[in-house]
Amino acid sequence: MQLSKLTGVLATSAAAGLLLAAAGAAPAVAKDNTLIIGAVFTPESLDGDINLPGTQNTVVQTYEGITRYGRTKNSQGEEILDSAVILPHLAESWSTSPDGKEVTFKLRRGVKGPSGNEMSADDWVWSWNKSFAQKRTGNFIARVSNVTTKAGSVEKIDDYTVKFHLDGPSSILLKALTLYTPSIYDSKITKDHATSDDPFATKWILKNTAGFGAYHMSELKPGEQAIFTANPNYFGDKPYFDRVVYRMVPSGASRLTLLRAGQVHIAENMTSQQLKELKKDPKVKVRFFPGRSVAAVRMNSKIKPFDDVRVRQAFNFATNKKTVIDTVFLGEGEPARSFVATFIDGGLSGAAPYPYNPAKAKALLAEAGYPNGLDVDLNYSDINAWEEPMAIQMQNILKASNIRVTPKRLTGSDMRARSHIKVQDIPFFTYEDGPIVLDSVYAAYLIAHGTGGVSNRTNLNVPRINELIDLARVELDQNKALAMMDELQKIWVEEAPWILTTFRAIGEAYTPKLKGFVSYPDNHERWSDLRFD
Amino acid sequence: MTTTEVARVEADPTEYSLGRRIIGLARRSGTTTFGVIVVVVFGVVALIAPLVIPYDPIAIFTDRLLQPPSAEHWFGTDGNGMDVFSRVLYAARYAFGVAVPAVTISVLIGVPLGLLTGYRGGMFDEVTVRLMDSLRVFPLIVLALAVVAATGQSLLNVILIIGILDSPVFVRLVRAEVLQLRSSTFVEAAVATGNPVRRILFVHLLLNSTKGAMAQVAVRAAWAVRIMATLAFFGVGIEAPTPEWGSMIRQGAEFMATGQWWVGIFPGVALILLVLGFNMLGDGLQDLFDPRRRAEKR
Amino acid sequence: MSVSRFLLRRLLLVVPLLVFIAFFTFMLTRLGGQDAAVLISGPNSTAEELDMIRAELGLDQPLLTQFWIYFSNAVQGDLGISWINNRPVLTDLLVRLPVTLELLFWGVGLGALIGIPVGLRAARDHNKRFDQIVRFFSLLGFSIPTYFLGLVMILVFFFYLGWSPPALGRISLMVSPPPSVTYSYLIDGIIAARWDVVQSAFSQLILPVIAMAIVASAPIIKQTRAIAMDVLASEYVRTSEAAGLSRRVIQKIVARNSMTPIITFIGTELTALIGTASVLEFIFAWGGMGQYGLQAIIHGDFAAVQGYVLALALFSVLVFVIIDLVVVLIEPRADLTA
Repeated sequence: MQLSKLTGVLATSAAAGLLLAAAGAAPAVAKDNTLIIGAVFTPESLDGDINLPGTQNTVVQTYEGITRYGRTKNSQGEEILDSAVILPHLAESWSTSPDGKEVTFKLRRGVKGPSGNEMSADDWVWSWNKSFAQKRTGNFIARVSNVTTKAGSVEKIDDYTVKFHLDGPSSILLKALTLYTPSIYDSKITKDHATSDDPFATKWILKNTAGFGAYHMSELKPGEQAIFTANPNYFGDKPYFDRVVYRMVPSGASRLTLLRAGQVHIAENMTSQQLKELKKDPKVKVRFFPGRSVAAVRMNSKIKPFDDVRVRQAFNFATNKKTVIDTVFLGEGEPARSFVATFIDGGLSGAAPYPYNPAKAKALLAEAGYPNGLDVDLNYSDINAWEEPMAIQMQNILKASNIRVTPKRLTGSDMRARSHIKVQDIPFFTYEDGPIVLDSVYAAYLIAHGTGGVSNRTNLNVPRINELIDLARVELDQNKALAMMDELQKIWVEEAPWILTTFRAIGEAYTPKLKGFVSYPDNHERWSDLRFD
Repeated sequence: MTTTEVARVEADPTEYSLGRRIIGLARRSGTTTFGVIVVVVFGVVALIAPLVIPYDPIAIFTDRLLQPPSAEHWFGTDGNGMDVFSRVLYAARYAFGVAVPAVTISVLIGVPLGLLTGYRGGMFDEVTVRLMDSLRVFPLIVLALAVVAATGQSLLNVILIIGILDSPVFVRLVRAEVLQLRSSTFVEAAVATGNPVRRILFVHLLLNSTKGAMAQVAVRAAWAVRIMATLAFFGVGIEAPTPEWGSMIRQGAEFMATGQWWVGIFPGVALILLVLGFNMLGDGLQDLFDPRRRAEKR
Repeated sequence: MSVSRFLLRRLLLVVPLLVFIAFFTFMLTRLGGQDAAVLISGPNSTAEELDMIRAELGLDQPLLTQFWIYFSNAVQGDLGISWINNRPVLTDLLVRLPVTLELLFWGVGLGALIGIPVGLRAARDHNKRFDQIVRFFSLLGFSIPTYFLGLVMILVFFFYLGWSPPALGRISLMVSPPPSVTYSYLIDGIIAARWDVVQSAFSQLILPVIAMAIVASAPIIKQTRAIAMDVLASEYVRTSEAAGLSRRVIQKIVARNSMTPIITFIGTELTALIGTASVLEFIFAWGGMGQYGLQAIIHGDFAAVQGYVLALALFSVLVFVIIDLVVVLIEPRADLTA
């Protein structure tokens, strides 16, 4: 065939191809009981103690807590969690010893995993021993709840009874037990995968699930998708969705278009701009939930120039919080009073501290020995979409107070590594930490404690703060505890380890026929709550 | 002009002066002229940008995020509230600021090396050629990305790495010319008259053999601008909020799906124009200097 | 010299090249003065894990020993573990390689099918209107950054016109993949007679393949034109013209004689083109080796980066050897002792 003719044929084929593609662009109809999620990452770890991208989003669906929060309705009639009410979940009931150092749980009977094994005390003991051995998130949860962090402190009394041994009374324990970690594993399955090098089967647990929750992972294609199927023996209400396809779509723009095209039902991690755009689209529902983490810009108390509290306070006065909320979050955010959100019991309320005042900022800087202002690098990463715009806006805003900021990008892993409690060597950086327990004492221990705070990241170590936290943790009288929290937060605000920007609202974008969204403190919906209209 | 007329005119091209040849080229080839104009315009913009742009390229207008093109902001504003027009123009400074030093580095490394290996020959030549050929198995863009990511992301690094990675082109070109000329009569004559080796190399061969290489300069400049933008697009080597076309496209990419096309399209068009200009210029220069291409075939 | 001896000699010459490639990729993690252990095992690793990696890689030993460890591991198929997803790099690369090859195949194929005839015609009608237009478009093809082309195509054909599906990979989320035979959803769909798969795979392929073809056609057109012009000026063709052979026959002669250098050229160009394919994979979320490698570079997953760069280089070497072999087989006059 003549080459030019061939070209002609090709052109026609290409045109035909585009037409065919147009036909393919119309969304096919999915099975009605499959939920499709456009996610940022496939879970890189299914071990609740090893929190990697995609972990929390999925682990909460397969491993459920010993207790759970009650439910109530907000002013708009939407269902929300009631942090004041703790209900039994995997446990049936509990009792506390008079000195508060022993809490005995009765296990719920008939809780079965997909394989048919029934949950027993052996599972609880094995699971908590695993977390103690790993010395990571689960261990931290145990420690903050005053559970003695060594093997054996979670003790089997009989097949359906477990006793927790505490170092002292704990005001946090029952709330902490709502968490997915330490996860309760089906130890009959996990023990099979243990080896002498790996007695708690952590390698297997990293890539597989064996829990008693509403879902379990039936397939994992890393970098592509994970498929979760409903636990046929689930002890709770049967979930609407039999199958959840957790599909990795790295580009936010793609997730957005997929949601619009009806090819995914939920699009994770949309930026403020994308959410604003999606709000206009009748085919998509956008909801904002109040956030419990501050999109903060943090200052390291041990590194110059931030070792001087006046400098830290100056930076706070130099920041126009309203501008930040308007430009970075497009108005969706609540000014932060402290590190605890106002809607959590014990969170500081009242006027936001450090109103914008460049003159005051400059004065404080001069007092601290910087009459001509100063130059700083602001490190940000790709962990959150707001970090880069925040860095750029901060550069612009702080100029007025003679602070010359140079934004510098780090990889997400670098940021996590260097802000880790053992390192903490970044002077000035963006970070977001949110307490996953709706409790102000927990939040304080996590964020403000000088030696135990894994989300401290800024070398903050104020003896009185540490003292108050340690007292509050064992204080069972609510009023006394709240008073301590009040004093603690005021001191913390004075210390100004963070530029208190805003509690950013958490926006969820999903298809309008999806109902049942309830906001959880980890910012992840529970698939078992969801259903189609 | 028909092909036969041109053939007659071009029958003995070396008889015409450089000036005549350039004019002839410009008349014949609209594309080269276009290339020259584009490069010159962008070059001028790069030089005078701070004087002519309506706004500071990193000035933030907090009340005007993501505005479409308008009278106040000809190219609209981006996600941070910065004026796209000013940034697009200012970014020309970075384009030239990277391309010019990078290509200079390539030339400064490649030309002497090419002269040396071409003239010396032997083991040195063999090894150098083999080494350079071995590098050809790596795609340039991936290589640049990987090396810059591994060695730390500063502008200086980027310039150095682009310069080094592009130098084999010049080595090869100059070496080929040298090999060709080595056996030509005037070099033999120079040797015969007793000129020391150094002078032979640097005076005679430099002038004659670098012509083809010079034509490549424009093409390499096109590549340098492209690679730089690609690095910035992948978030490697350029820090926010530096106005650079690649990183502007990076931001624009996220907004294209929500319909705010201006954030990414304008820098993209500017990038294409400059790269095209350099390519056209390079094409024209190659026509000018390469004797094979000048002569008519039929 | 016989073909098999030639092949053997060619393969032997490749060995030092392979060692060099391995050394180069090995040096990637030792270039910047950063701790190679952190680069390879990730910044989240504990102190014990770092020590373990240091011992495994021999980081306290002289450079050559380290290289030997790396090289012998690589030869045995151990390219390390990606700290981002905890899987062996080799497995991840192998699974994704066919995906990249599919895009490369269709894209370069289309680019050549269009580019070669256009280049030939431009050479024939040299300096006339067609040639000038072609030269311009070829230069344009060299000037458009691949990622920008991909983004604009998505913007126009998906977002504004709605003609193509969203760029989220090789197949729609709604369609379950066919049983895997060739790793190509398109072909596997045909084999399994699953027409929904065929349609979805085809419509997902359209945009990236066209983008790839556009980028690939620029060098192909330019080089085809140059080669064909050389052939046209050659003694053989001039003699044939003087002998009065018809234009049609001359065209055929030119085409045939240009083929070998053109194919050789495309082979060498594949190195750059697989880089282009990687960028397109990234933009179109294609799920191939390129997307994997670029993500690795962006996130600092250096075991994966090394594996990816190594894979690309090996691919190029393989292509070069194959091209040499093909040339030898179809051009019996070629000098095998070269």
